[in-house]
Amino acid sequence: MTTPSLGAGELPPLPGGGSPFIATSRPGILSGDVILGLLARASGLFILLMLAALLIVLFYAARQSMSQFGWRFLTTSEWRPNELVVPRHDANGNVVYDSDGDVVEDTIPPTFGALPVIWGTAVSSFLALLFAIPLSLGSAIFLVRIAPTRIVPVVSFLIEFLAAIPSIAYGLWGLFVLAPFMQNHFDPLVHRALSRLPGTGWLFTEQLKIGNHVITRPIALTGRDMLDGSLVLAIMILPIITAISRDVLRQVPGAQVEGTVALGATWWESCKEMLKFSRSGLFGAVMLGLARAAGETMAITMVIGNNSQIRASLFAPAQTMSSLLANEFSEASSDLHRSALCEVALILLLMSLVFNIVARQLVVGGKDSRGARAA
Amino acid sequence: MSESLHNRFSHIRSEIMLLVCILFATLIIALLVLITGYLLSLGFGSLSLDFFTKEPIPIGMVGAPGGMKNGIFGTAILIMMASLVGIPIGMLAGIYLSEYDDNSWLNGPVRFISDVLAGVPSIVVGILGYELLVVPMGSYNGYAGAAALAFIMIPIVCRTTEEMLRLVPSSYREASIGLGATKAATILEVVIPSATGSIVTGVMLAVARVAGETAPLLFTALSSRFVEYNPSRPFPSLTVQVFTYATGPYPQQKKLAWAGILVLIGIIFVLNLSVRYFSRQRRPAR
Repeated sequence: MTTPSLGAGELPPLPGGGSPFIATSRPGILSGDVILGLLARASGLFILLMLAALLIVLFYAARQSMSQFGWRFLTTSEWRPNELVVPRHDANGNVVYDSDGDVVEDTIPPTFGALPVIWGTAVSSFLALLFAIPLSLGSAIFLVRIAPTRIVPVVSFLIEFLAAIPSIAYGLWGLFVLAPFMQNHFDPLVHRALSRLPGTGWLFTEQLKIGNHVITRPIALTGRDMLDGSLVLAIMILPIITAISRDVLRQVPGAQVEGTVALGATWWESCKEMLKFSRSGLFGAVMLGLARAAGETMAITMVIGNNSQIRASLFAPAQTMSSLLANEFSEASSDLHRSALCEVALILLLMSLVFNIVARQLVVGGKDSRGARAA
Repeated sequence: MSESLHNRFSHIRSEIMLLVCILFATLIIALLVLITGYLLSLGFGSLSLDFFTKEPIPIGMVGAPGGMKNGIFGTAILIMMASLVGIPIGMLAGIYLSEYDDNSWLNGPVRFISDVLAGVPSIVVGILGYELLVVPMGSYNGYAGAAALAFIMIPIVCRTTEEMLRLVPSSYREASIGLGATKAATILEVVIPSATGSIVTGVMLAVARVAGETAPLLFTALSSRFVEYNPSRPFPSLTVQVFTYATGPYPQQKKLAWAGILVLIGIIFVLNLSVRYFSRQRRPAR
């Protein structure tokens, strides 16, 4: 785009020597020129095909679930892969017996509703952004406006290394280091501190419906919960948001900053001007972080607790779309179950496409090719 | 009076925010040190020669938990197979983007889609591999795993190749064509050689990325307890094995998982470092 190459076709090929590619005095159909052109174009097409394959295969695999549940899939919250056998009750609530005196049983077919995992993905990504954005922007400002030029490459390398650590390593750390810490130190501390405050009871209790009774019991603090998952996600998206924000902030024209300083702005006020000036690029950086957080699989599977229920408390285990896939896909009990999982994957794919497309439109110059893949 | 008070306030606020920014940057570095510190210390604590030379031994048998020789071999073979497919296609697509059909109907979409593909969650790629290669072949297999990894490599290799080729000055191309070279000769013997160093960098980064991938292998290659050379069977890999052991119930296997992650990070770190070395040695002329 920046340096348009000279089209060779515009010049007549001249005879040359020394290379199998240069001697083209005989313009055969299968000259090196034609072959490379074909291969390159085919590879370009192949990339389009890759996305098409993703969409088509997932749509096709999800069709059974789509036709059976329709839009209900997105709005109901029961995820039950197995049939349920329950005794039949009559109008008065009494169990019905057949002529032999056996309980009459009804079989409820499996049902799938993706709301809990969509909720889990939304909340964990939102919390991760909440933790990560201030840290990332602060560090980006540090790199652009504060850090001495000598330490900038060092800090940049460290942040990029943080990005290169595989997801599973974060998962291992989250599972064996962070979760026990949260369970033994942080969670009880918060529990103690908040227990004196009225109106915070819901954070540490859950309501359970057994028959017709609703009981309230304390949540077992395992450390593997929504909060822990969000923290690990936040750590994982720090590098990408920091790196892109840094690049975006660097592109702010010096005059913009100097102007505000000349008008008497303090250091922070000129920083704010920088942030305001590059807000669309920064928003793009945040969207890439969001895309990565939403698609992240291995680490979140290991630390979020894997419980497909919507619960208000951050200290309760949760489940995201990706962790649901990681947990259930290879052990899907029926075709319908697998199809429902494919529909979840399709939702995840479409969501990440939207995030990525929006982000790429926003990041000025579209320089980031490393992308926001979630591992 | 109120003016100067306001002034003083905003100066104090400015100082505070300055400190906050420094604090945040320090915090990120501290996190990095904390995480790698834990990974290193626990990893080295559990690493032994057995890790490299033995296959895993089921818990309860003599010599358990053995090592992860199978995973190391498996990951290496999977990466090689993925590279064999992914690097040529990715590089050719990158060549296409940089050298062919500027402003055609295909060029813009290919660039855009490869950027978008780089952001697709890798677990979704795993499901694609399952539907396309595992279901028809009837069992989990190494080919499907390698294909899923190649799927992830292609967009990365494509975009880095394109960017590196674009850094080659167009005067090189003009000179080559002026001397009578064909387009293919220009690309293969002038443009690519002058960007080799940085293309190698991009390719190695893609390999490093793929080496740490777990999610796409869960439903494609699955895993195996043995060193496997036949890719039409379930195939072992370091990452899936680490995941299985880490989430499993046995402390001995958890130790093995720590060692596995240490080896994995070691590989990725070496790849990254050598990339830095390479790219410093040979930058394309600007």
